[in-house]
Amino acid sequence: MAVSMRQLVRRVIRLSNRNINVTAGGVSGRSGCCWGPSSCRCFSDRNTHFGFETVPEAEKAKRVYKVFENVAQKYDIMNDAMSLGIHRLWKDALLHVMNPQPGARLLDVAGGTGDISFRFLEYVRSQQERQKRRVARTMQTPSWQDISNSYSNEDKDGPQESKAVVCDINKEMLKVGKQKADSTGISAGLSWVVGDAEELPFDDDQFDIYTIAFGIRNVTHIDQALQEALRVLKPGGRFLCLEFSKVTNPVLARLYDTYSFQVIPVLGEVIAGDWKSYQYLVESIRKFPDQEEFKSMIEDAGFYCVQYYNLTGGVVALHSGFKL
Amino acid sequence: MCLDCFASRVKLTKQRVNRPLGQLEMAALLRGVRAGRALRGLAGVVSAPAARKPQCSGLRRGFHCAALRLQDESKSDKPSSSSSTTYHEHYQAHSAEQDTAAASHGDSASDPAAEEAARPNTSYQDQSGEQNEEYETEEQLQARILNAALEFVPQHGWSMEAIAAGAETLGLSSASTGMFYNGGGDLVLHFIAQCNSQLTDILAEQHKEIQLGQAEAKKTADFLRDAIETRLRMYIPYIETWPQAMSLLLLPHNIPDSLKHLSTLVDDIWYYAGDRSTDVSGSYQPRSPPSSSHTFLSPFHHNPHNIRPASSQMNWYTKRAALTGIFNTTELVMVQDSSPDFQDTWNFLDNRIQDVTNMATTAKQMQSTGETVVQGFMGAAVTLKNLTGMNQRR
Repeated sequence: MAVSMRQLVRRVIRLSNRNINVTAGGVSGRSGCCWGPSSCRCFSDRNTHFGFETVPEAEKAKRVYKVFENVAQKYDIMNDAMSLGIHRLWKDALLHVMNPQPGARLLDVAGGTGDISFRFLEYVRSQQERQKRRVARTMQTPSWQDISNSYSNEDKDGPQESKAVVCDINKEMLKVGKQKADSTGISAGLSWVVGDAEELPFDDDQFDIYTIAFGIRNVTHIDQALQEALRVLKPGGRFLCLEFSKVTNPVLARLYDTYSFQVIPVLGEVIAGDWKSYQYLVESIRKFPDQEEFKSMIEDAGFYCVQYYNLTGGVVALHSGFKL
Repeated sequence: MCLDCFASRVKLTKQRVNRPLGQLEMAALLRGVRAGRALRGLAGVVSAPAARKPQCSGLRRGFHCAALRLQDESKSDKPSSSSSTTYHEHYQAHSAEQDTAAASHGDSASDPAAEEAARPNTSYQDQSGEQNEEYETEEQLQARILNAALEFVPQHGWSMEAIAAGAETLGLSSASTGMFYNGGGDLVLHFIAQCNSQLTDILAEQHKEIQLGQAEAKKTADFLRDAIETRLRMYIPYIETWPQAMSLLLLPHNIPDSLKHLSTLVDDIWYYAGDRSTDVSGSYQPRSPPSSSHTFLSPFHHNPHNIRPASSQMNWYTKRAALTGIFNTTELVMVQDSSPDFQDTWNFLDNRIQDVTNMATTAKQMQSTGETVVQGFMGAAVTLKNLTGMNQRR
């Protein structure tokens, strides 16, 4: 009788914990789940990696949040120092592959300090200028009919405006990004939203382009993030992911490993005063799946025409997929 | 495909089966030489800037940013000659695993996927969400986007903007233009392939009518003129922007594909003109199947038992080279023609075809004269030897 009661109690606790695990995964990090972690650790068998450590899934999001909260102020400087400025070229490459047409709407997830969004707005603006110049060149000698037509078409630019939405789970990163935007004067067409990549606060079929640059390896459930990406993209929309990946050349791989583990945490300590966050950074790169595996994950989520480009010999990979 | 050509050729050329072995090697040698010469000739005719081979690898994907030179090794390495067809072949290579893997996933995941609302049910997708259907419609989808984009070409030119506008009319986001790595080049090549297939259909119709006896067979010169005129008239809606299209076709990474389309076009026209050849029986033309990719290479490559005499080998290449020359020059004339209904262009076409016909008859006359002269000399030489007694056996 006592045995069966104990079994019943245990079963009830297990069931309730499973429910908590599911909700904790969904709410990851937005609110510290109060009695989730303590009982999860006893009964949950769902762990994930946090760098080279193994942690329960509910905890990973919190710890990632703390990492980025600490590094937010010095994020851009550290990027320049660690990659010797090459990260700008990677982001430029992303924009070139994206080749956005005027009027496109961008969702930049894990956009943080807004690098991709700024480049996007600049690109679209220069495209529009180029188009206007081309139209002006062909209309060198307009007839009276053309002139009167242009008067009536003056308000055409309204629906053509492209918008960029920067979404990040971390408020500190968004704050830094907003400051940058204000200081450089790019604020038209830019919005800043707090949100979780696994559960985006947007409706279906909203965006033309979804990008996630150097952010997806910090997400606890990558497949959920991919499915969310599929959901918010319009039909024909494009998913682009820039992420550190496996270096293909063995010699370069050895150099890269040495640099990552010996130099980067030291730089982190010297410049940002935070060794552990940068240790987490380089470890999380090692834990992320390689190019082919990630490509098949994207395909599994339901994207078509999935492709990847290796940049800098495989240090960074740019994956692209379409929602068709 | 090779076996089919072989079978058809064997059927049609029963009388050519028995051949002395000695001429085979010579024929092969001549074939190689002539193939090289003909290819060079064709390249000279077609590409004005004499860009023979796509050696320019720097502009592979049209990336202009110097930073992308860092992209030293690209897994998605598209061959520089990517057009709609090779793109699809390469696509298949890349997506073959994807689709076989996804096919197994698709069937199992179709039900939960529908519940999770992750996969939208677009109009062309099956209710069952089978991956095989989707794979076929990917290319069809691209073809549909390019077809829709053709309407916007007069406004935007042959460019990504036209493709974006086309995609939007289909209800797709403008970001789907990212599927077309070649940009305007993809659009032009698609259009040309479409024109070629339309022409082939028209010629097949005419051929059927002639076979049914409903129409009369035309002379070769007339047939060629009509075929080229029909083909060039397809450019009339886009004639304003056609110079841009021609320049896109001449870009190094597009040259292999544009040459391929041009050669299939010329081959098809000669195929349908083949019956009405005015050649003397000494030169036989093989009936190459229309629109197969390797008809550009000498037909002897797939049927070694059917080697023609050396003089008529030249004929196959010369004919196609001549027609290519005529077609390209007429196209150039058409682009700057301002006469009503392009009458100047058609006059030019008539004159060129007349030139070629005259040259052909002149060449034949010269050849027969030359043979006669040689025979005369041989006769004189034998007579001389007889007179001097050198032919006597002692």
